[in-house]
Amino acid sequence: MGKGQLSLSRRKFLQVSGAAASSVAAGGLLNTVKATASEHSITNSSGNKEKFVPSACAMCVNKCGLVAHVVDGRIEKLNPNHKFFKSRSMLCARGNAGAAEPYNPDRLKKPLLRVGKRGEGKWKEISWEEAYKLAAERLAELKQKYKNRSSVAFVSTEGFQEEFFNMLSTSYGSTNTVRHPTLCLASVIQGWSSVFGTYPDADLTEADFVLMLGANRAESFVTPDTIDFQKSMPKKQTLVYVDPRFTATAAKSDKWYAIKPGTDLAFVLALINVIVTENWYDENFVNENTHGFEDLIKHVKLYTPEWAEKECEIPADEIRWVARQYAKYAPRSVIYPGRRTSWYVNDVYFRRACAILTAITGCWDEPGGVIPKSSIPLAKHDGALYPFYDMVKPRIDVSRESSINHLIPNDERAKKGLPQDSCAYLSEKDGSWIVFRDSVLKSDPYPVKGMFIFKQNPVEAVPNREKTLKMLQQMEFICTIDIQMSDTAWYSDLILPESTYLERWDPCHSLSGIWPIVVARQPVIEPIFDTKSMKEITAGIVNEMLKIPSLWDDCWESDVKSFKETVVKPILNQPTEKFIEHQLSKYPGAYEMMLKEGVFYIDDTAKYGKTKKKDFRYKTKTGKIEIYNVRYEDDGLSPLPVYASPSQPKPNEFRMILGRHAWNTHSGTQNNEYLHEIEPENAVWINDKRAFELGIMDGDYVYVKSSVGEQKIKAKVTRKIRPDCIFYTHGFGRLSKGLSLVYKTGASQSAILEDYVDSISGNAAMHETFVEIRKA
Amino acid sequence: MAKKRYAIVLDASKCLNCKACTVACKLENDVPVGQETYRIWVTENRLHGNFPNLTQTFQPSQCQHCENTPCASVCPTNATYKTEEGVVLVDYDKCVLCKACMTACPYDARFVDEHLAAVEKCTMCYHRLPDRDPACVETCPTKVRVFGDINDPESKASKLLAKNSYYRLKPSVNTRPRLFYVD
Repeated sequence: MGKGQLSLSRRKFLQVSGAAASSVAAGGLLNTVKATASEHSITNSSGNKEKFVPSACAMCVNKCGLVAHVVDGRIEKLNPNHKFFKSRSMLCARGNAGAAEPYNPDRLKKPLLRVGKRGEGKWKEISWEEAYKLAAERLAELKQKYKNRSSVAFVSTEGFQEEFFNMLSTSYGSTNTVRHPTLCLASVIQGWSSVFGTYPDADLTEADFVLMLGANRAESFVTPDTIDFQKSMPKKQTLVYVDPRFTATAAKSDKWYAIKPGTDLAFVLALINVIVTENWYDENFVNENTHGFEDLIKHVKLYTPEWAEKECEIPADEIRWVARQYAKYAPRSVIYPGRRTSWYVNDVYFRRACAILTAITGCWDEPGGVIPKSSIPLAKHDGALYPFYDMVKPRIDVSRESSINHLIPNDERAKKGLPQDSCAYLSEKDGSWIVFRDSVLKSDPYPVKGMFIFKQNPVEAVPNREKTLKMLQQMEFICTIDIQMSDTAWYSDLILPESTYLERWDPCHSLSGIWPIVVARQPVIEPIFDTKSMKEITAGIVNEMLKIPSLWDDCWESDVKSFKETVVKPILNQPTEKFIEHQLSKYPGAYEMMLKEGVFYIDDTAKYGKTKKKDFRYKTKTGKIEIYNVRYEDDGLSPLPVYASPSQPKPNEFRMILGRHAWNTHSGTQNNEYLHEIEPENAVWINDKRAFELGIMDGDYVYVKSSVGEQKIKAKVTRKIRPDCIFYTHGFGRLSKGLSLVYKTGASQSAILEDYVDSISGNAAMHETFVEIRKA
Repeated sequence: MAKKRYAIVLDASKCLNCKACTVACKLENDVPVGQETYRIWVTENRLHGNFPNLTQTFQPSQCQHCENTPCASVCPTNATYKTEEGVVLVDYDKCVLCKACMTACPYDARFVDEHLAAVEKCTMCYHRLPDRDPACVETCPTKVRVFGDINDPESKASKLLAKNSYYRLKPSVNTRPRLFYVD
């Protein structure tokens, strides 16, 4: 950010700034928010136009409410929106640093067309009209050439504007939409849903006992959990934390167990064993609500604490203690579901076990337990009709012909309840990143030769970077939409610069949870560069597509007509404000509340008990909580979570484990100067004893080598990690020269990680890679 | 009514070391970025114990706004001074960059801002007071810091001090800080 202008007023801090700011503050923050809505801006005593605009953050996935302090059209500061109760009135480091995003000198400022070789970094600025036309023409060419609309993949990550990107893929008609969940939480959703029919939240404000396995809530922010587990927890709450790494959450816990990686399922099965054999389960709850408890009793018989101790290296007595404590406080006990669970190939079975523990103790849908999410329903655009095309094939990752067994490590687990031919349950909209890429590389069963990429950065996000680059190389056309030159944009042919979240309208999102609330975005400043929102981009491309007859020759003319009337005209070619107004149309006054306060909610109380209503039917095959999953049995999977030992690193190797920090999101924020200052370069955590054996001192540079790549990185020698694993943060060692702060700085994760898949949910298994380390 | 005595009460046990406060402070106060100059910071205290029996705490800190103010005492130009509420401020125009205050500060809370050509430090976001909390207080996820007038027994800060035992940093140097850490 340019400091020049501001320093003058700082020089006269006492005379000017103090007086100016306090006149703004008169009456408190919420009053000024109201004033903003009615008059947009006020003139302060130094003659500057000053306003406070409520909107929502986009620096991570939590979408926290914010209030932007804007002076003369420039963002001075982002503050928490105190009405956004889901995040308990906070804005984290990233949320604050977001104020610098629009002004980042590395922003994409104009549409860019590649003129050199891919990855060479030679670009020509073109106009938006040219860009839209080019994108539409390339889509038409690919369709004519391959006679298959699914030969263009649409890749995206979550965000308010993703809805409009999806409209682009649906307008074109490709089935190959590849989304972020299979790099993140696909397995936890599958695991919990296979028991309860839903992926729930945990009520940390009322729980007396909390067990978190690898869910590093102190550093990996999930609202409101990150705040609640420190700020709002009951005084007597006990927190037990299980992780191979001593994280900030471990520092906050009452008890930390440095579990052997990959064995969490053994630990939880032993907890269930203790609870069943010592009769700690909730008999009434089990009888009334669950299916398959008798099978469970037999199933867990062998999974004793003594057996588990050998697997997970947590003493049997301690396992008994945890089980008894958990049972003692039930139903105010939580085994925390977690978020990014792309850990191991059998992750779904581990998540199922956690859900089963919750079910047998009745820690479900009661204060202090695990709670199904509630949400505030928004009005949809039900009338939207897209053409029905002939030239469409099923998803490539579902219809592939060869097996996927090479994507599963060849150990005991492969033989125990993991499908080898294809993934068992892929989400139709999300697919599976690992399987998708593999299928594209083999053109199995058909070629995919075009890609549209919105906001996601697969080059750094998907394990095995070399493979992703190979996939990109064989594409005939790649178009990336982003705010900065991501590594993926760097290898693209056409780059469309998006406006940042502070420069655009975004539709409402209904954030489900125990405290449901709705947020939307309004621009807090005008776009600084020649950028557009994804909605404008979709409209621009679709309007050009409509001018090319060959794009519409495999559907009925009447389909195109209704598409124009129900999608193009009323949605794409209308301002986003209209879209928001429609979404909130069920609730009188909600649109006005959204503009004025940046949020919409019915009330701010916790929502419990929706599954307690008489005749409630769970979304499972039996309609009950399925301890024993009937569908899994039908599909040849293990109906109860079955344990098998994971492979272990050889004595000279380490297992690479991943994790998050509070100051970066995925690979998207490291190039922000405020966040970069916190962590300018990543460092690999190595256990002090192992480091000593290898002659590595703290701060030395080392090479980390796996079967797919090698990276050079600084060593952090520490007692905070087990001797058998290493860890370093995500988002460094970048390939894009357009990310000036992190280009070739530190080490990339995707360059090292091998590509394995949890073949039940399709989630990537990112903790299965073994590496060697040597001094550089 | 007695005049105001501004103070910040901290519960360090709630601190996640998430850096929300340090980034908020930089943006609110236009503190230079990329030069490792901070008005407020979080220290990772020493890691205790051997693997796997480890413990660690975090200590958020900043200018302590001392009642007995060594930085002001040594300042040859009276650039450093106290407001009537007890907030220690620097008049950047008067600062001659002799750095005596930096040497005198027992908390290492001051640094040279090249752009201002002056020594600077935490102002308790004086420009936001009293209607809005300091930026670090407002943005903190777990609300480690509570700002208030400790001459007002009804303020949240006063109530916290009445209810809890607390300590202040480096009591041996007799600076009487306005930052109170509850146990």
